[in-house]
Amino acid sequence: MARERTYVDNLHRTGRIFMILGFSIMISVPVTMWAVTGVAPDTEMFFPAFLTLSLLYLPGGIIEVITYSPMLGTSATYLAFITGNLSNLKIPCAMNARELCKTTIGSPENEVVATLAVSASTITTTLVMTFGVIMLIPLTPLLELPVLQPAFNWVVSALFGALGYKYFRNNPKLIAVPLVFMIAFGLLAPGFLVGNLAIAIVIGALVSTIAAKILFDKHVLDKEAS
Amino acid sequence: MNPVPRLFLATVSEIKEAWWMYALAAFITLFILAGSLFFARNAYVQSKKLGMSKELVKKAVVSSVSFSVLPSVGIFIGVITMSGMLGIPLPWIRLSVVGALHYELLAASVAAEGITLAAMTTENLVTIAFVMTLSILWGGLFAIFFLKKYQTKVISKATGTGNKGFGKFLFDAVFIGMISAYVGDAVAKIVKYETRLVIDGAYALDGTGNYIWEDHKTFVPLIVLLSSMVAMAFFDWLIRKKQVKWLENFSLALSMIFGMIVAVVLGIGGIY
Repeated sequence: MARERTYVDNLHRTGRIFMILGFSIMISVPVTMWAVTGVAPDTEMFFPAFLTLSLLYLPGGIIEVITYSPMLGTSATYLAFITGNLSNLKIPCAMNARELCKTTIGSPENEVVATLAVSASTITTTLVMTFGVIMLIPLTPLLELPVLQPAFNWVVSALFGALGYKYFRNNPKLIAVPLVFMIAFGLLAPGFLVGNLAIAIVIGALVSTIAAKILFDKHVLDKEAS
Repeated sequence: MNPVPRLFLATVSEIKEAWWMYALAAFITLFILAGSLFFARNAYVQSKKLGMSKELVKKAVVSSVSFSVLPSVGIFIGVITMSGMLGIPLPWIRLSVVGALHYELLAASVAAEGITLAAMTTENLVTIAFVMTLSILWGGLFAIFFLKKYQTKVISKATGTGNKGFGKFLFDAVFIGMISAYVGDAVAKIVKYETRLVIDGAYALDGTGNYIWEDHKTFVPLIVLLSSMVAMAFFDWLIRKKQVKWLENFSLALSMIFGMIVAVVLGIGGIY
């Protein structure tokens, strides 16, 4: 028996259509390059590179969906996975909006807030990039000024410092274990952590979740602000 | 001497900056803008149905815009970084859809292994474009096929009442784990921070075909992280105790600017 489509079903349907359209447009770029130049890709160069990268990005992509989609909700996940820059922009942006609007993950209100946040963030990035390309000639020397390089080299550190304060303040009991663990990890295996930050994020998330569950079961979190 | 490679060289640099490549990039930009507006409009309509206030909607949008400007400039610098090898339109496209700079640099480098800027052919460029595009689709493909099932089977249970209330801590814990990883990353860079040398927008190789690594260990990211944390604490104090409510939507962006200014000041002092 066919059941009536719910609001969430519609979100998935729209998200999937958007994603399929997005992927088609993405793939049309190299295909157009092939069609216009008449030069096909070199299969001997393509397949080894594609397989090497897929070994990294196939498990990486699955882990990203599993880790990030609960924080984003339905529509924002589809939108963020088309527009990219997840860990360094979309996720912190959605979490910041959630914190400001005091919505609960998994709630219909949070679905709205996360979608608005990721849409606004995407539009901002797209407009900044377009403006940058239009103004490329005057902007390039300015943005490449040696004195400004450290500012943009460490923009993500600045982002997580500022956002970290908010989350640490609101959840003091949840911080200790993951923070001590990741600092120790950074000191003991610096090369691995810096070179494999995506894996480190998953390890950090797992350690943090296990610690939180233990604290929750021991009723330590009973009075914690969410 | 065969003149063909010279002809190829001229052609490949023309292709990289061809008008139709810019047209493709502009089309993709419009698609992303239209898609984002469509999702935002749907969310806005839903917010009304849920009885959410206009202020709340405005807060979500304004804070996200102010939050995203600086990282977006950082992403645009990624386009400039890669433009040496690939021109402007291809990195512009790649960083607009699915991309992130570290993915794209790696993809370009793996695909272009052993190819220098001067020796690049049209065939190389087309192949690089295919590799950069197709290798990165996995996460999205997984979302198309499995996100709905994952949400129904796993997330709803985790956030539902059946889990006796742990759900509300679960995702804070996940995000705190993520922030902790970035703190660990900043600490790790004090001990060791090896980066691959980038020349002409791709990772450079030495004579034996290996990446050229350089150690730049630095405590600047940790200082930047702590500085923006302190700035945020100050703004938070202004908002909560001094009732400077307008700061709420901009405190994060201003804290980031403070952290970035600290990085610039350290750089002027010779500390990188």
